[in-house]
Amino acid sequence: MNKLLLYILLACTLVSSVLADTALFDEGNKFYEQKQYDKSIESYNKILDLKIESAELYFNLGNAYFKNGDLGHAILYYMKAKRLAPADQAIRHNLEFAQRFSSLQMEGVELNPVTSFLASLVDSYTLTTLAWTASLFFILFVVALIFRFGLGINRSVVRVSLVLSLLFVMLTSGFTTFKYRYEYLTRRAVIITEQPAVYTGASEQSDIELEGAPGLIVEVISESADFYNVLFENKRRGWIKKGLIAEFWQFFNQSKFLYFIDTAYANIYFNQNNNEKIGVIWRFIRKNNFGAVS
Amino acid sequence: MHKKLLFFLIAILVCLSASVFAQEVKFNIDVSIDRDTIGLDEQAIMKIKVSGDSQNLPAPNIPTFSMFEIETRGRSSNFSYNNGVVETSVTYNFLILPKRPGTFPIDQISAIYNNKRYKGNKLFLTVLKDASTINDALSKRAVNATGNSKDYFFEAIVDNKNPYVNQQIVLTLKFYISVRYYGSPELVEPTTTGFWKEIIGNKTPYHQRINNRQYKIIERKYALFPTQTGELDIGRAMIRVTVPSRSNNRRNKSLFGGMFGSGEEVSIRSNLLKIKVKPLPKKGRPADFTGTIGKYAISATANKKVTEANQPLSVTIKLTGIGNIKSIAEPKMPELDNQFSIYRASTSENISKNGNIIGGTKIFEEVFIPKRPGNIEIPSIKYNYFDPKTSKYRFTATKPIKLRVTKPEGYIASGDVPYAAPDLKISSEARDIRYIKENIGDTQPVGQLILENPLYIAVNTLPLLIFAGMIAVRIRREKFEGDIGLARSKTALREAKKRLTKAKSIAHVDTTAEFYVEIYSSVTSFIADKMNISPHGMTIDSIKSLLTEKNAKPELIESIEKILKQSDFARYAASSLTQTDIDADLENAQNIMVDMSGVDFE
Repeated sequence: MNKLLLYILLACTLVSSVLADTALFDEGNKFYEQKQYDKSIESYNKILDLKIESAELYFNLGNAYFKNGDLGHAILYYMKAKRLAPADQAIRHNLEFAQRFSSLQMEGVELNPVTSFLASLVDSYTLTTLAWTASLFFILFVVALIFRFGLGINRSVVRVSLVLSLLFVMLTSGFTTFKYRYEYLTRRAVIITEQPAVYTGASEQSDIELEGAPGLIVEVISESADFYNVLFENKRRGWIKKGLIAEFWQFFNQSKFLYFIDTAYANIYFNQNNNEKIGVIWRFIRKNNFGAVS
Repeated sequence: MHKKLLFFLIAILVCLSASVFAQEVKFNIDVSIDRDTIGLDEQAIMKIKVSGDSQNLPAPNIPTFSMFEIETRGRSSNFSYNNGVVETSVTYNFLILPKRPGTFPIDQISAIYNNKRYKGNKLFLTVLKDASTINDALSKRAVNATGNSKDYFFEAIVDNKNPYVNQQIVLTLKFYISVRYYGSPELVEPTTTGFWKEIIGNKTPYHQRINNRQYKIIERKYALFPTQTGELDIGRAMIRVTVPSRSNNRRNKSLFGGMFGSGEEVSIRSNLLKIKVKPLPKKGRPADFTGTIGKYAISATANKKVTEANQPLSVTIKLTGIGNIKSIAEPKMPELDNQFSIYRASTSENISKNGNIIGGTKIFEEVFIPKRPGNIEIPSIKYNYFDPKTSKYRFTATKPIKLRVTKPEGYIASGDVPYAAPDLKISSEARDIRYIKENIGDTQPVGQLILENPLYIAVNTLPLLIFAGMIAVRIRREKFEGDIGLARSKTALREAKKRLTKAKSIAHVDTTAEFYVEIYSSVTSFIADKMNISPHGMTIDSIKSLLTEKNAKPELIESIEKILKQSDFARYAASSLTQTDIDADLENAQNIMVDMSGVDFE
């Protein structure tokens, strides 16, 4: 009886939270239509406070920031939306459109052609889609294994299926790994303030290397207490104050148990509670320059 | 795949045929003269341009003309390489000096190339008896106050002293000089306040005989567009040129025979010109006339015929014609508020000269954003201009453009078009972004990663476990198949339990005999299976000795003996046994099985 009551309570909480999202979302849309973009941003952010996300929510938030003249946040949320729904044409359009407004256009951007090619292949798919596709082929591969070695059936259909499914497993899991490394393990951020100074060192006493502009995307290489060491698309790098940029994906930062330090070749994982080293993952492909391999 | 291959082959064929055609002999002779009418005292310049795709072009053969004398005046050559095609041209210059008046043909100019004779085009040159091409005013200007002919003079003339505002006039500056000069003359251009000025260019210097004196004429032409009405001045132009000094001339002559004549710089000014600019007539002036003068044609093209509502399309409006291209105003767009939002994207202009006439093209790029789906039309755009030649207002118009506007996904009919001109600064007015989404869509907890999802991990692990299990089963089966003794030993307990289960189902006084048969065979089969021997022919004594051999406990051997004897007894005197005996023996048999599992039969 007690259990039943618990289930009912749980269901009610779930339903009410879903209803709260929808209500807040509709409220945000209403403010947007009334051109009260500040209020609409507030409403959308309340949904994010519930630790809930969706591509549509990020998209609308991006639009509201864009209309409010905040290019950095607009691009940040369009990127977040694109991560959840990379094939959505409206998101892609608005992201491209917003990026045209950036007052500083990067010159001398040279992307690794292999990385660019792979990135363009996986660009329209989410990590979830790729991961499930890889799983599907993996299951097919295991079924073929079961037929061949578990049941000992040595027919040509089984042999061909085995080879083909193995091939697809390698291909799709390769894509999944690439997507994960390129979009999740590589820390990217967007500049959200007007003309932030990028220093040559991690202090305000250092020389100014260059001035950024809202909407520019940078790669976070490392961090000190107050500064991020960032790499621009044109390979220039420098230190920028935390708070002037926002990271697209805070997977490691938000995780309860792990946070992550990126050194040149290794990711070291620490337990956040007692600072005990959990493990080190050596990165044989050093990521830098927006995914370039060196 | 086949299509691609086909295209590839066609492309190769086209390239091959192009190169075959390119190998056709290209050769041409073009004859031209600078003037088609000259006075008997004057000269004309004839140019013969020989062009072809070879670097070794032959010189033209000039026949003897009885009516002219022909003097060679040098040649110039030109070489160009364009899209893999080599083109060479050599221009030969000749001076034509007429001998008698009349109209004469210039023909039979030819050249032999690749063993073939090529002929030049035919021209006619009219030679007037007296130098009537020179007017009296010019003759007068060539004479100074004392009545002697001038060594040099500078003249400015316009083709029209009474133009309409914005109508083109041509200003010609002519510098006449009959003495040698050093260096090149330096020109100070006339002031042309109130005009928009465009240089047409310099004419190749030519010669003219005025008052029996040969002058070399250096000429420059300008196109002028008056930008205001009333009387306007074209200032004096000035030429600075170094001519032989008269005084030095004399002295040098006496001393060195004039070999090293020193020069003096002289400045010669042209005449002042007054232009009276007329305003445009009020009669017949259209209401939306924007002041464009000349002659124009308008055309409009859209970059796509099918588009989505709220998606911008680019319309290029092109005005081509003669007149002051820089000053022409943008065509007025028809009222289309309910159908389109229209924004100006860019304008560009290209000024060209055709002889002395200035014209060109002005292109207006407009962004049209259809507000609603359906078949809609950009109507004809009318453009008014004033034609100064006929002194009338005229108009040109574009053809209407038919558009099919499709409905985009999630289209909502709304007056608020979520787009704006691309060049707008980011602000609340910048609206060229796709409109917000109406539904929140599939929500998920923030930061959820598929690779951490328990379901995902389970789905990927489970098949592996199943596979591992199946492999284990298969290995076991194969092992049993190769070793019957082992198979029997491993399955002995299971088989015995099966028999006991069967025995339990018939543990009743009615089926006493059958019950004891099962009990007997369960025990004997177990021992036989474990030791891989046949159960048939096993006696109680042989079983006892086997068990003793295997170090079985004496109590176990005793209870086995007891139950086997009981089973033998039951076969012959089943009716003497009660239900209590049956139940007790079933329990005994089960206990025996448990105890026998502990015996090492290996």
